[in-house]
Amino acid sequence: MTAPAVASIAVQVIGGLVLSPLLPGLIQHWKARLQGRRGPSPMQPYRELRRLWSKSTVDVAGTTFVYRFAPAVVGACLVAAVGLVPVNAVRTNLGVGHDVIVLVGLLALARFVAAASAWDVANGFSLMGASRDLTIAVFAEATLLLALAVAAVLTGTTNLLGMIAGTAGGGVWSSPALPLGALAFGLVVVAETGRQPFDNPDTHLELTMMHEGPLLEYAGRDLAYLQWAAAARHWVVMVLAAQIFLPHPRGVWAQLAMLPFVLTLMCGALALVETLLAKMRVLLAPRLLGVAASAALLGVIARGVGGS
Amino acid sequence: MSAALYWLGGGAIAAGVVVALFRAQWRRGLALQAVGATVLMVAGVATVATGHAVGAAFTSQLTPRLGVDRLSGLFLATLGLVAAPALAYSSRYLDDSFRGRLVGALTGAFVLAMAGLACARDAITFLGGWELMSLLPAVIILLYRNADAESRRSVFIYLAITHLGGVGTWVAVLLLAHAGAFGAAGVIHYGSGLQIGVAVAALIGMGTKAGVVPLHAWLPRAHPMAPAPVSALMSGVMIKLAVYAMIRVFVDWLGVLPTWFGVLVLAVGAVSCVGGVTYALFQHELKRLLALHSIENIGIIVLGLGACLVLRAHGEDVWAALALAAALLHTVNHAVFKALLFLCAGSIERSVGSLELNQLGGLLRRMPWTGAAFFVGAMAIAGLPPLNGFASEWLTLQALLHVAMSGHVGDGAAGAVALAALGATAALAVFCFVKVVGLVLLGPPRRAHVRDALEVAAPMRAAVTVLAGACIVLGLVPGLLVSRLVAIAPWSGDATVRAGLYVPSTGSLPTVGIAVVLVAATGLLTLLRGRRTAPAAPTWVCGQPVVPQLQWSSAGFTKPLRLVLEVVLRPRREIDVHTRGGVVTEVAYEGEVPNLIDERIYRPVARWSLAGAAYARRLQSGSLGTYVGYLVCLVLVVLIADRIGWLG
Repeated sequence: MTAPAVASIAVQVIGGLVLSPLLPGLIQHWKARLQGRRGPSPMQPYRELRRLWSKSTVDVAGTTFVYRFAPAVVGACLVAAVGLVPVNAVRTNLGVGHDVIVLVGLLALARFVAAASAWDVANGFSLMGASRDLTIAVFAEATLLLALAVAAVLTGTTNLLGMIAGTAGGGVWSSPALPLGALAFGLVVVAETGRQPFDNPDTHLELTMMHEGPLLEYAGRDLAYLQWAAAARHWVVMVLAAQIFLPHPRGVWAQLAMLPFVLTLMCGALALVETLLAKMRVLLAPRLLGVAASAALLGVIARGVGGS
Repeated sequence: MSAALYWLGGGAIAAGVVVALFRAQWRRGLALQAVGATVLMVAGVATVATGHAVGAAFTSQLTPRLGVDRLSGLFLATLGLVAAPALAYSSRYLDDSFRGRLVGALTGAFVLAMAGLACARDAITFLGGWELMSLLPAVIILLYRNADAESRRSVFIYLAITHLGGVGTWVAVLLLAHAGAFGAAGVIHYGSGLQIGVAVAALIGMGTKAGVVPLHAWLPRAHPMAPAPVSALMSGVMIKLAVYAMIRVFVDWLGVLPTWFGVLVLAVGAVSCVGGVTYALFQHELKRLLALHSIENIGIIVLGLGACLVLRAHGEDVWAALALAAALLHTVNHAVFKALLFLCAGSIERSVGSLELNQLGGLLRRMPWTGAAFFVGAMAIAGLPPLNGFASEWLTLQALLHVAMSGHVGDGAAGAVALAALGATAALAVFCFVKVVGLVLLGPPRRAHVRDALEVAAPMRAAVTVLAGACIVLGLVPGLLVSRLVAIAPWSGDATVRAGLYVPSTGSLPTVGIAVVLVAATGLLTLLRGRRTAPAAPTWVCGQPVVPQLQWSSAGFTKPLRLVLEVVLRPRREIDVHTRGGVVTEVAYEGEVPNLIDERIYRPVARWSLAGAAYARRLQSGSLGTYVGYLVCLVLVVLIADRIGWLG
């Protein structure tokens, strides 16, 4: 195995599995700073995971295997997703391939299982969150596919390695296709990570929950899995954004070296967005995603007109 | 060898049909039919695997001929795979009354009619099989429902729409036979009027039978009426045979079609899949919901077919073959999981007595076998990895993406829109089946009788378990099938044979690897979590007691989406609040999402037709003199026409 491959696998696995909770931690930290509060340290998610790991749990009476296995399956989906998303254009085959549509499927599986667990515990607040999450997902998934289609038609493949290599350098930015795709993908990042204006990850009010809703009846290590999965989802979509939809260099080492800076910058950007925007009404969110989908569709057409 | 197997399978089913009529032997008859269906499946799989055609080749002559090639073999294998469990299931689902036995015998006849259609090698056998396949379910529904008012109405709508639309099939097939192109590619020229005429007629006629929007109105009415095994056969195989006919006409016989026709097929597919799943989401009766999902899945199959036509028109033969393989793979997959879901619905109806989603709940604990199989089927139809629905949706998405990649602006945009439509469809299907699974299998029982539901008899459990196993196996090794399906296209060679899907210019779908990673990670995380020591406690609902009747309903769960789509769907709802002395004593709520196409297209057409009929009825005076007058007029008109020279 070559040196770049070893380094890429290390970054991919350690970054995705271990360092991903830093991303929501950083966002929270900077958001507090931007709002003039001191706020928690960026390490706060780790402290919470440690606390949850040592807590015991109480099962919900009358539930089935769906409730019991849901956190592990959601965690497994994100483990597979982390294994699927490469951090640069070096092949790091971990057995799950590198296809971007498979990634969409894995995220859908995680969503299905979480929502099914909400039905199993039959908690009204959980179901309210699941119902809204699934409603947004209908529009987010179509937008996600269109945004990815922009990058796929530009590079001629849905293989993430080819997509990262094909969008590297400055050449692709001369046509309007990729910027339009990036605009759409940016909104998808916000929706998938459950951040404002789509969702408010800080809320403690059950009535306003979306992603947090199905988590209500979990505690201890189960909840730790689910919180880790939310952090890993940040990692997956933000790495995709950084290495496909934002300018990145051609060299594989340069791609690796740039990644931490770009991820940090994106955390800052998300913190800024969360500070500037309020959460929008649930029923208005699909319109915003509709705008994003139209932008991505224009991107596909723009590429066709350009004939490149 | 293979031909003998087909005859053996068909003969066993035919013998089973006869035996099933006798009261003493009727279960053996159904078992014999199931064995025959299994033999058909084995023979079909052998044909698909080897590619050796047996029997006659296609002919434009009107002499009856039978034969099987790879495409027919695939549909026969699918038929056998669905029919064998469905027939075994029937042996406990039906009773030994004369009506029950007759339904069992007719189910076998229905299977034979479908097998005959798939084997037909001339126009007459083809049309005969086509009509029998349409008529037999109608007879079965009327028999099974004792011809009550609701079933009569459904069957009338079913027959009326499939026969009005079915004219297209007759026109297309007879035109093809007349031109000598029934089974012969290259006879009809590219872009000729005949080619376009046949293609459009076939799209209408066979599209009606397949249930594509807007010709689908019969499907959600007829399918839920039938007994569960027949519903499984109708949704699983009957509408697929219309897809078979479309593939024959569009891909095999008409040669390369103009690009616009492919885009039209794409549009039909996109509208069908989004429309079908949207209305399914707002449906609160399980069998109707499943029937609407058949429209969605036919839409996905038609999307694959449309992608194949567009790509072929662009000369991208490799990807056209893959798109066709995607459509065929989804055909097989949908047959398996839809049959599974319909059979489970039948079992639930047997044990609980109702399929109203809001009155079920908690059945996973009461009926562990049926419940677990239903859960697998729901995940498969929602297109989730690592089950079979995901593999075929993945391949279809890749094919559509390839249409979007093609250099032409308009076609590329069409491909991208279709891609987004399929993406939204997949997410809607996830939404819908989370709802179904939650309302049927999970949570507390919502009614007292659901709490005492019992698991069904062993053959019924075995049937759904076999189909659930098929969902898992087809999800693990789709590549073995796809490598054969690619060879069905008349213009392409073989693909590599591997378990997963390894396709150029994609990241590939290593199904086994994904399944292993998912299962291993789930197992590891479950082990790490350890056992629980604290006793279980009820759900926390702010200190209130948990009341099953106050659980979330089907309408409530889907309300956010209903509100978002309000502008398009125009839902109706009525709330009656009765107050007495300022105190609310009674609240009545009624809401529904009316089907727009029924309201906007079918209703006006029906109204105009009835109005027209009212005028036409005035011609029927009933007096002999008037009729003689009509005859005299007719003779005069003919004479005048002849005189002027209109008659040549």
